[in-house]
Amino acid sequence: MVSEDVLRTHLQELRRGTVVVASLVALRRPDYGYALLQRLSDHGFPVDANTLYPLLRRLEDQGLLTSEWNTEESRPRKFYRTSDEGESMLNRLLDDLAAVQTSITGLIQGVDR
Amino acid sequence: MNTLTDRYLAATLRSVPTQRRDEIANELRASIEDMIDDRTGGGADPAAAEREVLTELGNPDVLAARYADRRLQLIGPTYYLLWLRLLKLLLSFIPALVGTVVTVVEAAEGKGFGAIGPGVVAAMQVAVQIAFWLTLTFAILERTQTAVDVPEWTVDQLPDAPVRRGIPLADTIASVIMLVLTIAYLPLQHYHSWVRGTDGENIPILDPALWSFWLPALIVVLAASAVVEIVKYRIAHWTWTIFGIRAVLSLAFAVPLMWLALSDRLLNPALGERFSWLAEADNRDSLGLAIAVGAAAIVVWDLVDTAVKTRRQTA
Repeated sequence: MVSEDVLRTHLQELRRGTVVVASLVALRRPDYGYALLQRLSDHGFPVDANTLYPLLRRLEDQGLLTSEWNTEESRPRKFYRTSDEGESMLNRLLDDLAAVQTSITGLIQGVDR
Repeated sequence: MNTLTDRYLAATLRSVPTQRRDEIANELRASIEDMIDDRTGGGADPAAAEREVLTELGNPDVLAARYADRRLQLIGPTYYLLWLRLLKLLLSFIPALVGTVVTVVEAAEGKGFGAIGPGVVAAMQVAVQIAFWLTLTFAILERTQTAVDVPEWTVDQLPDAPVRRGIPLADTIASVIMLVLTIAYLPLQHYHSWVRGTDGENIPILDPALWSFWLPALIVVLAASAVVEIVKYRIAHWTWTIFGIRAVLSLAFAVPLMWLALSDRLLNPALGERFSWLAEADNRDSLGLAIAVGAAAIVVWDLVDTAVKTRRQTA
């Protein structure tokens, strides 16, 4: 029986990169930090708040997200949106994710590429 | 106003770069309030909800490090191996060198064995200094993210694989030490045999008359044997040539020894004055025979043993 710790480590490794992909997809529709966290969680991407918030800033610094303060509601919130640059990188990442899935399927079925 | 949230924000922002501090503060505060609202909307107590949310966000120093993209390590994988190699290299000789110099200087000032203490202390201080400054340098490199040209690893750096030697170093060292001690014993017993005559003078064990030829000759044979041991180690395995030379040298030592023992010329006749048992000719003959048989047994055993090794390693 595989130990819980080992399993958790491998799942974490597997999931790590997908948070960026999921965020870029989700932010095609502008959203603020906590709402994004909930949407990702609802769609099966549980992310820790202390991971997601700094990540959003980093993606913004890299020019993959743009942001805008919305002061119309009860409290001012920073809304993020996937930039054009972010969109083109997202497409590359999605292609790669699909390629990984294809490769794994091929490997499972024993089909040569 | 000093709520848990305020304290959490202050703790987080303390180590976030100043130019972005306000913006991060506003966003983080909004996020925290969103999270608290979500929980109180579900009927939770506001104070408990705040506590729960901040606990979920975790250690503010970790969060701040993530915001600042700062590394939570003293020396990361980029520099660790280089740091370790330099540390080992520097510690391998500098403390010993400094310690030796200090000991010599102190000894020169007439401290005698008292010079060892300051030497050891100096070596330890130097070791601590080296470790501290080297580590500090690499920690700074790690943080400033200076691009240092760490040399790329190439296959040429591979060390030689350890060769399985037919002749272990320990055996060679043991043989040479035995030979040197034997050589040293010959003059030592002449001047200081621990056997004293009736009026306190030193009585050599071996007959002093042998110094005219036999003892110098045996010393030469022993010295030649030591050289052969070293040559054998350099060649790294037994050969029949080495076996032959070694056999000749063994016999060149043992045969004269046996002959001298059997003809009662080996031991100092003066010993008979000190030990009455040795004064009788029969007893001296028995002792000579015992020495000769012992020497013969050792030589035969050695020849057989080395012949077997040579045969195995040349096969």
